[in-house]
Amino acid sequence: MRNAIIALILLALFAALFWLPSYAPYFYIFVATEILLMGLFAASFNLIFGYTGMLSFGHAAFFGIGGYTAALLLLHFQLPLFWVLLLSMLAGMLLAAVIGFFCVRLDEVYFAMLTLAFGMMTYAVVHQWRSLTNGSDGVAGFALREFGLGLDLQLADPAVYYQMVLVIVVLASLALYLITRSPFGLLLRAISENAERVAFCGINVRRYRLLSFIIAGTFAGLAGGLFAPFNRVANPDMVHWTESAQPVLMTILGGAGYFLGPYFGAAVFVLLETWITTYTEQWMLFLGVILAIMVIFFRRGILGTILDWLLRRQ
Amino acid sequence: MESFLAALLNGLEIGLLLFVIAVGLNIIFGVLGVINFAHGGLYMLGAYLTYTLVSRGGLPFWPALLLAPLAVAILAIVLERLVLRHVYGRHVTDSLLLTFALLLIIDDAVRMIWGSGIQVVTPPPGLRGATSALGFSYPVYSFFVMGVAIAVMAALWLFFTRTRAGRVIRAAAIDRDMAQTIGINVPLVITGVFALGAWMAALAGVVAAPMRAINPGMGDRIIIDSFIVVVIGGLGSFPGTLAGALVLGMIYAFGGRFLPELNLVLPYIGMALVLLLRPQGLMGRRTG
Amino acid sequence: MAKFPVRSLATAAVVALATTVGMLAPQAMAQQQIRVGGIYIMSGTAAAYGQFAKQGLELAAEEINKSGGILGRQVTIAMEDSQGKVDVAIQAARKLVFQGRADVLIGLDSSGVANGLVPTVPELRKPLIITHAATPDVTGKLCNAYTFRISVNVNQNMMAAAKVAQETGKKRWTTIGPDYAFGHQSWEYFQEYLKRLEPDVELMNQVAFPRFGAEDFTPFINSIMQAKPEGILISLWGGDLVNFIRQARNLGFFDQGYEILFTVGAATEVLAAMGEEMPEGVWVGTRYWFGSHDNEINRNFVKAYMERYKNPPSYNAEGAYAALYLYKQAVEKAGTTDGEAVAKALAGMTLEAPNGRITIRAGDHQALVGPTWGRVAQYSPEYGIRMLDPVRNFSGEEVTPSVEETGCKL
Repeated sequence: MRNAIIALILLALFAALFWLPSYAPYFYIFVATEILLMGLFAASFNLIFGYTGMLSFGHAAFFGIGGYTAALLLLHFQLPLFWVLLLSMLAGMLLAAVIGFFCVRLDEVYFAMLTLAFGMMTYAVVHQWRSLTNGSDGVAGFALREFGLGLDLQLADPAVYYQMVLVIVVLASLALYLITRSPFGLLLRAISENAERVAFCGINVRRYRLLSFIIAGTFAGLAGGLFAPFNRVANPDMVHWTESAQPVLMTILGGAGYFLGPYFGAAVFVLLETWITTYTEQWMLFLGVILAIMVIFFRRGILGTILDWLLRRQ
Repeated sequence: MESFLAALLNGLEIGLLLFVIAVGLNIIFGVLGVINFAHGGLYMLGAYLTYTLVSRGGLPFWPALLLAPLAVAILAIVLERLVLRHVYGRHVTDSLLLTFALLLIIDDAVRMIWGSGIQVVTPPPGLRGATSALGFSYPVYSFFVMGVAIAVMAALWLFFTRTRAGRVIRAAAIDRDMAQTIGINVPLVITGVFALGAWMAALAGVVAAPMRAINPGMGDRIIIDSFIVVVIGGLGSFPGTLAGALVLGMIYAFGGRFLPELNLVLPYIGMALVLLLRPQGLMGRRTG
Repeated sequence: MAKFPVRSLATAAVVALATTVGMLAPQAMAQQQIRVGGIYIMSGTAAAYGQFAKQGLELAAEEINKSGGILGRQVTIAMEDSQGKVDVAIQAARKLVFQGRADVLIGLDSSGVANGLVPTVPELRKPLIITHAATPDVTGKLCNAYTFRISVNVNQNMMAAAKVAQETGKKRWTTIGPDYAFGHQSWEYFQEYLKRLEPDVELMNQVAFPRFGAEDFTPFINSIMQAKPEGILISLWGGDLVNFIRQARNLGFFDQGYEILFTVGAATEVLAAMGEEMPEGVWVGTRYWFGSHDNEINRNFVKAYMERYKNPPSYNAEGAYAALYLYKQAVEKAGTTDGEAVAKALAGMTLEAPNGRITIRAGDHQALVGPTWGRVAQYSPEYGIRMLDPVRNFSGEEVTPSVEETGCKL
């Protein structure tokens, strides 16, 4: 019964989102695409943060490398998008393996600072390697052609691109979800709660952390690989630490303790930004106030707070 | 030789100014367990208040050197009592996010109050221009900056080692619960430490005002540098902060001179190397 | 900890529904108005540029509305903050056009933002008039039917700089510039053009590119002074430029007999910040100098601007101001606000602007417009800045490379 309800709600939600372009104002196709991509980016971050208990401050490195991989492949080789995305994931994975190899040795603040350092080193490489990346101007001017796999999609149409992003993000999120529910995912949670105890059981904590880091990097690479074609540009901003702060904010805003928290946070963040900036130039002030209130009074994030409230009513 | 000396002096100057900012950050971390992202915002406030007092208000520089940090310290007390207090004892990410929120608020507030233009403050008479005493031209004001930083350093050292209040703070930093049980008013100590840290950030802002362009966003850059300093030197370590600040100062002074194409990445390479080879920092104590 | 319960999904569904209702809320705006979307940097270190542009746009809109609007329709302005970030700017453009129903986009300060945004403009089907960003690519290899630039680009300014440099007679040149595209491109074009004018000039290998926002420029100043150049091209801007000048002054940089060319040194926000501290005798360039165009449009513009905002107009204010008049003229020629028709009208259009007569070249949509260069001279208490003397206005024709050279294919 319960499973049937879940399946029904999921299907209804998916259908409502899939047909969004047919009833929502045109601009919200872009908003929704951004929410989905930032949601996936934040969810991949939450695998390290919420599930493994490590605050990464350099997650944009993988998002950015995915974006640059996509932009460069589209510009120079006109590959079908499907293969571009696979290679973006691969790029995110490889970079995460290298960075993670060093970072998982450290805990807490030290881990956060080391990920920040590696993130900014990636930024510096992207920014300074002008012959490959076009420096601060970024890689632009590429065209979106076919998707590949024999699918006939008009990717240049934002509505089509949105629907493709939706399907891919849903599939990727399903994969992420299954990972968190697998024995591997449970072990990650055990590590986040008490790493020492897990180590006493003879488990190589560092290796599990590394694996979690690599998986997170892979999905961030996918999000970046979809983001660059969405905006038609890959730019060093995608790699900067301020970009790394985005998934942190979104995850905390939504609720790090819930699988859907980061998506929720991304939606709230992007919608708030869209609405508030229409009325005021002081968007940062509002964001700061909201964030402060969330951290002080609603530690479990928006989603967590709503759920708690519903539970208490029962 | 001259160019080496000039770079050395320059590194010393950058490092000592960074020290005054970062040591406040580090003391706050040591006692409160809070990584204060808003610290750069307090530095910026110090600079802007100096601009208001000196360039707008027509006051001489010297009263501003006293008044601006005092005003920022009072603001810090309010912030600590009303806002920060809520997240003590929680995970460090909570305080990181909360102070990040404060930084956003301070940034926008500064823009609303002072506008978005570039402001400057003229150095006080007697500290203008340059001297060639060392065989090359160097700004007089820079020597003043180094002097202030060294004075702050000495005062802090005396405070922490020679005064009762300083020892109480150190006790609270080592074990807050224990300090509480032996009758130390820990909440008061915490407020005092936060105000002290803010006072130093603002003091650095005042001192920087006559030599750096004042504009919104100046706090964001300095905070990342301060993080790097604290990490390189060692979290919670006072001499470490000095070491970290001097290392970063030298990286900027010599890196800019001899490895200019790497000047974006060198600080991060430095930080990563320290974290990998000696995670507790150059002078930090190894903990659990 | 992490669960996937029914409730969580139900909540998500409710919120999704609420959101949908929220966005379907009426966006009723008077159909009759002409909506101008401005995209500038309104926050952070470079926020001053956005403020100047906003003032320019507001002034132009007010004047236009007072004299009957465009095709009898009133003009309204909606500003969006690009934050100097490309993804923010792109989403802002989409929001302005698709949600705010903007008829035209005016803006862009950062070259990086321009490079990212311009390829998406044809999808918006509304003209974009760039008023500040100077990257050659947006009217070069990335040019398109909907993108125009009314302001001076890097090529034009560097061609003028090369001419100024040639006239100084100095032979050994180096540069100090910000370590990103703008600094590097400025030096590359300057070298190319100066070499063309003066083949025996020496372009030094010893150059300095401090990181953007470096705060302390002493190491770079020292290394350049040690290389003993005769002339120096400096493309730092904004807060960096103020920091640089103050530190360089203390190090005796301005007493060495160098010829110094600040490529954007005559920006009023820098001159206002520096006041009398601005060193005399250096060459400074700008896209527009309020005191050097002796025509009625400029006199009225400067007077109105001074009355309203109490300081002389910066080039960014002038660019935004002129862009709105350019758009007005194009709409009146097209007889409609339809994006495609207006874009067609804009190509090849000539406008009487505060900085003289400028023509939007049909081949690449770059305005044939030249910068103003001058030597920093005596302090003016009236304006609160040092003035320029002598001043030289370059015409667009003498500094603009041919369409073939830009790489634009329209």
